[in-house]
Amino acid sequence: MKNYDWIQHVRGESLFVDDITPPEGTLHAAVFSSPIAHGKIINLDLEIAKKLNDVIEIFTAKDIPGENQIGAIIPDEQLLADGILDFCGQPIAIVVAKDNFSAHQAVKQIKLEFQEYSAVTDAREAFQKGQLIIPPQTFSLGDADSAWKDCDLIVEGTAESGGQEHIYLETQGSFAFPVEGGGIKIISSTQAPTTVQRAAARILNLPMNKVEVDVLRLGGGFGGKEDQATAWACMTALAAFKLKRPVKIILNRQEDIRMTGKRHPYSSDFKIGLTKEGKILAYEVTFYQNAGAAADLATAILDRTLFHCTNSYFIPNVKATAYCCKTNLPPNTAFRGFGGPQGMFVIESAIYKAAEKLGVDPMVIQEKNLLSEDDEFPYGQKTKYCMARPSWKKAIGKYNLGEMKNQVEKFNLENKIFKKGLALMPICFGISFTNTMLNQANALVHVYTDGSIGISTGAIEMGQGVNMKLRQVAATIFSVDISRVKIETTNTSRAANTSATAASSGADLNGKAVQIACNNILERLIKSAQQELKSNETDQIEVKDEIVYLNGNQTELTWNILVQKSYAKRTSLSSQAHYATPGIHFDKSKVKGEPFAYHVYGTAIIQVTVDCLRGTYEIDFVKVVHDFGKSMNPIIDRSQAEGAIMQGIGWMTIEEVIYTKYGKLLTDSMSTYKVPDVYFTPKEIEVDFLDNPNPSAAIFNSKAIGEPPLMYGIGIYFSLCNAIKAFRSNAEIKNSAPMTNEKLLLMLYEPAGQNLKRKLKNKMTVK
Amino acid sequence: MIINFKINGKETLINLTKNKRLIDLLRDDLKLTGTKEGCSIGECGACTVIVNGKAVNSCLVLAQQVDECDVITVEGLAEGNKLSELQQNFLKYGAIQCGFCTPGMLMSAYALFLENPTPSREEIETAIEGNLCRCTGYKPIIQAITSTVSGE
Repeated sequence: MKNYDWIQHVRGESLFVDDITPPEGTLHAAVFSSPIAHGKIINLDLEIAKKLNDVIEIFTAKDIPGENQIGAIIPDEQLLADGILDFCGQPIAIVVAKDNFSAHQAVKQIKLEFQEYSAVTDAREAFQKGQLIIPPQTFSLGDADSAWKDCDLIVEGTAESGGQEHIYLETQGSFAFPVEGGGIKIISSTQAPTTVQRAAARILNLPMNKVEVDVLRLGGGFGGKEDQATAWACMTALAAFKLKRPVKIILNRQEDIRMTGKRHPYSSDFKIGLTKEGKILAYEVTFYQNAGAAADLATAILDRTLFHCTNSYFIPNVKATAYCCKTNLPPNTAFRGFGGPQGMFVIESAIYKAAEKLGVDPMVIQEKNLLSEDDEFPYGQKTKYCMARPSWKKAIGKYNLGEMKNQVEKFNLENKIFKKGLALMPICFGISFTNTMLNQANALVHVYTDGSIGISTGAIEMGQGVNMKLRQVAATIFSVDISRVKIETTNTSRAANTSATAASSGADLNGKAVQIACNNILERLIKSAQQELKSNETDQIEVKDEIVYLNGNQTELTWNILVQKSYAKRTSLSSQAHYATPGIHFDKSKVKGEPFAYHVYGTAIIQVTVDCLRGTYEIDFVKVVHDFGKSMNPIIDRSQAEGAIMQGIGWMTIEEVIYTKYGKLLTDSMSTYKVPDVYFTPKEIEVDFLDNPNPSAAIFNSKAIGEPPLMYGIGIYFSLCNAIKAFRSNAEIKNSAPMTNEKLLLMLYEPAGQNLKRKLKNKMTVK
Repeated sequence: MIINFKINGKETLINLTKNKRLIDLLRDDLKLTGTKEGCSIGECGACTVIVNGKAVNSCLVLAQQVDECDVITVEGLAEGNKLSELQQNFLKYGAIQCGFCTPGMLMSAYALFLENPTPSREEIETAIEGNLCRCTGYKPIIQAITSTVSGE
C-alpha cells in the first residue's frame, strides 16, 4: 500500500519548520558558540554586536529566568555556558535580530576572552584521567574467568569504531511564540516533544502546561533530534518569552555539524576463547565510550552496547564492561542502533581474528554459534521465536552461498589487481526502550460527525512512515477507507508525557495505543448499531468496508449513518487510550531481566570488489533475509531496510568524523564529510522477507524496522578485510572502522614501499 | 533591482536586492517553500530547480541571474490535481521517506528528461549524482526514474 503522506512531498507542499510562513514581526536568532574545546570564559563583550543595525537583543546565561540546564537524564549540560567551556561549538549567547543575515553578522562581532585548558578528545585518555560520567557497568553470564582453561584457542585484540554525523537533510530548527497567559508555543523539529517541553519549562521557570510543543514532521532524524533538538527549541522559547515576539532559529549546515553530537566513537578490548572446532566458550570485552562533554543519552546508549555485545550468538560465559568517558567533544548522542552497532562490531572483529588463527572462514564460527530457541542472553532474557538460524539458513540457500564463494575464488585467481571479498552478517536486535519506563504511549482518536477521523499520538513522522502505519491501524479497525483517517501534528496538549519516537518503537507503542482507542469507539458504535437495528445481544454486528452487517447480512446502516445516529444518541465518538508494553522488566542492580518485548533477526551477505592499486572499492551486492514479522506495509519496510543498510555501510566505510587533538572538527561541512551518494550504492540490493508473523507484543504481528537493518552494514568491513587478504594473505587486519580508502590502501601494502616493489617486480616477471 | 522572469509558467516582476540568492527569492518572496535548503554550498542538491531547462542549485545562484529566464520548481510539476508520471512513480516505488530531498531529486530527474527523454541508467545516475538522500539508499529513486523512461 502506497504511503498517502508522500503525495504532499512530491508536490512540494509538505511543511517543515522552516516552511511555515512566519507571522509579521518574527525575529531570527543565531548562536555564538565556544571557539575552544576546553577552557574558561574570562570576559564576554557584546557591546559592538549589540549596536549593529537590526540587532534586537543578545541573551546569555544570566537572562535565563529558570534553571540553565537541559540535561535530560543527568543534569550536566547548560543551555548557555557561563563559566567553563567544555567543547568547541558549545552555545554561549543567542543573538536575536530582524533577519537571519543580521543575526549572523552580529555573532561575528562578539568578543570572547578566554583561558584555554588542555583538551581530552580520546576515550581511553579520559578513562585514565578518571573522567567517567557514571560508574562502570558490567553484564555477565556464566563464569568467563574460569572458562578460559577449557578453550583451545584464546585471541585478544582491540577494535575501534568511529563517530557518525547524522546528516538529516533538514537541519535543526525551531520556531517559538508567546501565547496568552504568559505561556509559550514551540514548533520544533524534534523526535521528543515532551523532552523539549520539560526542558523549556525548566529554562523559563514555567509549569509544563504553559509550554506547548508542536511537531509537523522531520526531514530525517536518525536519533540526532531525540535529545539534541532541545537546545534550539529552548533558545527560541527563551528569546520569544523575553521579547514577547515570535523567534525562529534554523541552523545552517556547518553550525549544525559543529554544534551537535554524533554517534559515539568506541575503543574496545576483547578476549575470545574457542574450542578447536570453533565453538565460542568465553568472551570478555571492555568498551570505552567517547561520550563527549555531557551525558546526553550516553548512559542509555552504553547499556544497549552491553545488551548487544554478543550480537546473534550464544556464548555461555561472558563478561562485558563499559565505561562512559567524558571528553571535550560535543556531547555525542543517539544514532540509529543506539550503541548496539558499536557492541556488535567488536564481537564480529573478535570472531574474524579467531577465524584467522583457526585458519577457517569466519562464517564457520558465526554459523556454529548462532542463537537457538531458549538460549540465554547475558542479561538473563531467553530467546523466543528465535529466527537467527532460520534467517541464516534461508539466506545461504536462497542466494546460493556456495556458488558465490566459488565465483569469488575464481575471480581472485584470475585477477591480480582487483580482488573480491565476501562476508556474512547476522543480526539480533532487542525491541523496547531498555529503560522500561519509556515503553508507554497514548493516543487520542476522534470520529467526527461526517465520518472522518483524526488521530493524535506521541509518534513523530520523520520519514519512517509511522503516520501511514497509524492510519492503517485505524482504517483496519473501523474498516473504513484510509482516506478518512488523518494523523494530526504531534502536540503536547493532545498527547502528554510521551516517549521520544526512538528505539524503533514508534509504530509499535503508538499503534497499540491507537488500536485500543479505536476499539473503545468501535465498541460504542456497535452498541449503538444494536439499538438502531433493535437486535439482541447475541446477534453478531460488525462494520465491514463502511457498511454495518447484522449476522452476516448487509443492513441499511453505513459508516456515516451509524456515526451520525450515534452522535444524536449522545454517544462519545472520542477516546483517549494508553498502552504499556506488557511483561517487560529489568532489574538494574542485578543487571538481569526481560527488557525486550521481542528480538528482530536477519542475515546479510555482502560482496565487494577492491581496486588494490588505488584502495577504492565497489559494493557488488547486499543480499538479505530479514525478519519483518508480518509486515504492515512492505513498501515502507523495504525502503526502511535498504536505507538503514546504506547508513550502516556509510558508517563502516566512507563516513569519517575527524577532530584535531585540540577538539576542533575538521569534517564540518557536506564537502568534507561524505555520506553515500548514488554512485556508492550497491550494484544490487535484495531484501527478502522472512515470513514469520510475530506473536509478541507488536502491532498487527509486525516487527519494528527502524534500526535493526543498519547493523547489516557491519558486514562490509569484513568483506573488505577478506578482499585485502585475497591480495596479500599475510596482511595485518586492523579493526578500525571506518575503512576509508586510505586505511584500506595502508593495510594492502603495509609495510609501505617494500611489498609494493616486490609485487610489481613479480608482476613484471610473470608478464 | 527589478527582474522579470517566468516562474512555473507565470510571468513575474520582482524588485530585489542584488545579493539575494535564488533560493531566498523562491522561498521567502514567492513562498515557494517546496525548494529546500540542505547545505547552502551546493553539495546536497535539495535546492535544485530548473533554469532555462537546466538543473541548478538555487543556493548557488543569485536571484538576479534569472532575469529573463524560465524557472521551474517542484510546485510546477503537477498539472492541477494531476501528478506527473515522474511524481506518480516516486509514490509507486516508495522513492520517498522524509521528503526533504524529494523536490530536488524530482527536479534533477525532470531536467534530465527535458534534455533526453530516454536516458540510460548511467545517465540517470549522473543526473542525480549531486542529490543526496539520507533515507532510502537510492534504489527506489532509480527505479522510479527508470520506470518513467520505460513507461512502466
